Amino acid sequence: MAMANGRSGEVSAHDADICVGVEHLRLKFPGEPDIFFHHLTLHIPKGQKVLILGPSGSGKSTLLQVLSGLIPHSIEVPMRYSRIQWPASWGFVFQDPDTQFCMPCVDEELAFVLENQGVPRSEMESRMREALAQVGLSFDDLHIPIQSLSQGMKQRLALASVLLLKPEVVFLDEPSALLDPEGTEQIWASIKQSLHDRTVILVEHKINAIVNWIDRIVLLDEQGRLIADGHPDDVFRHHKAAFERYGIWYPAVWDEYLASSRWKAIRANRERSGLSAADCETVLELEQFEAYRGKPCKLRVDKASVNERSWIAVTGENGAGKSTLLLALAQLIPTAGTYILRGRVIPEQPKKRRVPEGVALVFQNPEMQVVADTLFDELALPLAKSGWKHDEMEGEVRRILQYFHLPLEPGRHPYDLSLGQKRRLSVATAMAEQASVLLLDEPTFGQDARNTFAILEYLEQLRHDGKTIVMVTHDRRVVEHFATEEWVIENGRLKEIRKI
Amino acid sequence: MLEWFAPQRITWLHRANPAWKGLLMFLVMLVLFFSRDLAFIVVIACWYGGFLFVFSGFARRKLLLLCLPFALTFLSSSLTLALFGKGEHVLWQWGIVKISEESVRSGLIIGMKSLAIGLVSLVLLLTTRPVLLFYALMQQFRFPARFAYSFLAALRLVPIVIEEWQTRTHALKVRGIAFSKGVKGVYERLKLYSVPLFAQSIRRAQRMAVAMEAKQFRMNQPRTYYYETSYSKIDAYLTAYVCGSLLVALLMPEPFR
Repeated sequence: MAMANGRSGEVSAHDADICVGVEHLRLKFPGEPDIFFHHLTLHIPKGQKVLILGPSGSGKSTLLQVLSGLIPHSIEVPMRYSRIQWPASWGFVFQDPDTQFCMPCVDEELAFVLENQGVPRSEMESRMREALAQVGLSFDDLHIPIQSLSQGMKQRLALASVLLLKPEVVFLDEPSALLDPEGTEQIWASIKQSLHDRTVILVEHKINAIVNWIDRIVLLDEQGRLIADGHPDDVFRHHKAAFERYGIWYPAVWDEYLASSRWKAIRANRERSGLSAADCETVLELEQFEAYRGKPCKLRVDKASVNERSWIAVTGENGAGKSTLLLALAQLIPTAGTYILRGRVIPEQPKKRRVPEGVALVFQNPEMQVVADTLFDELALPLAKSGWKHDEMEGEVRRILQYFHLPLEPGRHPYDLSLGQKRRLSVATAMAEQASVLLLDEPTFGQDARNTFAILEYLEQLRHDGKTIVMVTHDRRVVEHFATEEWVIENGRLKEIRKI
Repeated sequence: MLEWFAPQRITWLHRANPAWKGLLMFLVMLVLFFSRDLAFIVVIACWYGGFLFVFSGFARRKLLLLCLPFALTFLSSSLTLALFGKGEHVLWQWGIVKISEESVRSGLIIGMKSLAIGLVSLVLLLTTRPVLLFYALMQQFRFPARFAYSFLAALRLVPIVIEEWQTRTHALKVRGIAFSKGVKGVYERLKLYSVPLFAQSIRRAQRMAVAMEAKQFRMNQPRTYYYETSYSKIDAYLTAYVCGSLLVALLMPEPFR
């Protein structure tokens, strides 16, 4: 704390150029015993680009909401402070592209912002076009459904509507978290171009793209206490231990992981067990395989096969058909063509489709897959199916909980877990099915560095134990270092199979 | 899906003030709801059926398809009442089936009523964009903006919820959940679907509300309108047309009753 005070002391509270600030902030979430932000003090001068970092659950988004005034004006959370200065005008871009808009069309959404400010009808269209141009979007006719835009375009539209507010300060809460690499690149290009002369306060996981653009990093711990506050280079240099301890993404995290003993052990293990295709059995064969959602064919695989102990990374743009491939392999949607699983031909099932035995699918949103009220029941369900007796189950459930690093409280409700834990639980339930082929839809998505490596290491262990993994991912590093093969999907076609 | 509901051509009905049109159609539906006069209901049904097919700007095939559910309600409700309804002047009886003059009449009344109300609501729904309806409600009827925009925001959630429903169906299949038959199965489904879908929707609605406030949306703030709606001559025509339809139906000469 002492050091933090010293650093932010550079910008004194009485500086006329301060546009956002809070002193001695304390805040309490309902239902949580602990106080957050123990007397946090922060002053942000005009024009500064401030990145807030911290482990998940450290209150980064909450801090943005406090600084903007959304807490307490729109969201009621009990809090105290000795002084606070809200920005005179501000805008906010949120994480989820699908919950930022209230109107169906682009023009109507932008008009909503202008109407709120009482801008006359006659000025609206020119202001809309100007804002869209600033974020690099252009439409001949502005009256197009927001639903028809890509996720990346939606986030740029959100940024455009923020620009219409003529904000002094812009808050960005992980604007690229739900975007593919292309969308991420676009939104950051638009942000850098349109906000270069404004004060920007942001929370972001994928910091590689922006680390050169920001002036200051504010680092929080699990209780929202200030660990560090200063220039990015200084913070990275002096607080590396904190980044590692809390599993926060920082630019060198992958390089350091690849130099670590954990990674070397994995490499050595892989070389020892020999990943050569020759002595591995073929698990899955596809030929002239087509998947349908409604009438049109959404995905086509001419010919492909998967060996035991492979790790297939399925890559491609949003909407190319990656998730469709997983749904097709789990036979949740109608398919045609040859599909052979462990030597058994899976017949085309136009109606009453069943998931083939030995295949498990883990969805992107782990909550969607929860069926029981306790961790025990959640894991006991698949065990009971594979013939476990009730008195033996308890030990097995504990073993699984331990293996997947989940809380050893079988009575907990699955919804109570953190996002990373929920994700691991969904993998755990799939594994308890005794499946040999594991299909995963972006399992490392939105996870912090610690969870990402933990999940990848679990998957590697499973692969080593003889399972086959087919995983959708956007993360190039995961593809290059963990996968054994990359399947590139383009416009509903398996375009390329690349051995790694 | 949404394109399917776009009209082929824009007619004068589309240009009427949506709020006023809504009010008129609502009044007609209200009168229909309380009426016990078969001739009146039949005339109104014909009148608005014609209205729909001539002025809605939709192809006849689509309109027939959209009318199908109402035709089915007509058949089922009128048949049930006709076959099992009470009555003195029995025409035909066999077991519990008892057809009487009164039951045929009340069957026809209920059937025609649902058909007529369906046709009137189609006239409104097919010629009115929800966005414009709420803009007109705000401007002409002083409907509070916070409710209008909340409704519009909620409409945006519908396709997301449908997609999530599908995902949940898939996930339950993957988890190997088999539902019991009968009422127990309905209860199991309700429980397994509602918890995750509600949890997601509530969170989403909350985020949307915060996003709207972040765009400086405030209660009772003075605002301008992107779509400026007003009354025009068309609204006078429409009013005359609706009044005319009610008058003709009421004054139908005796022989047709």
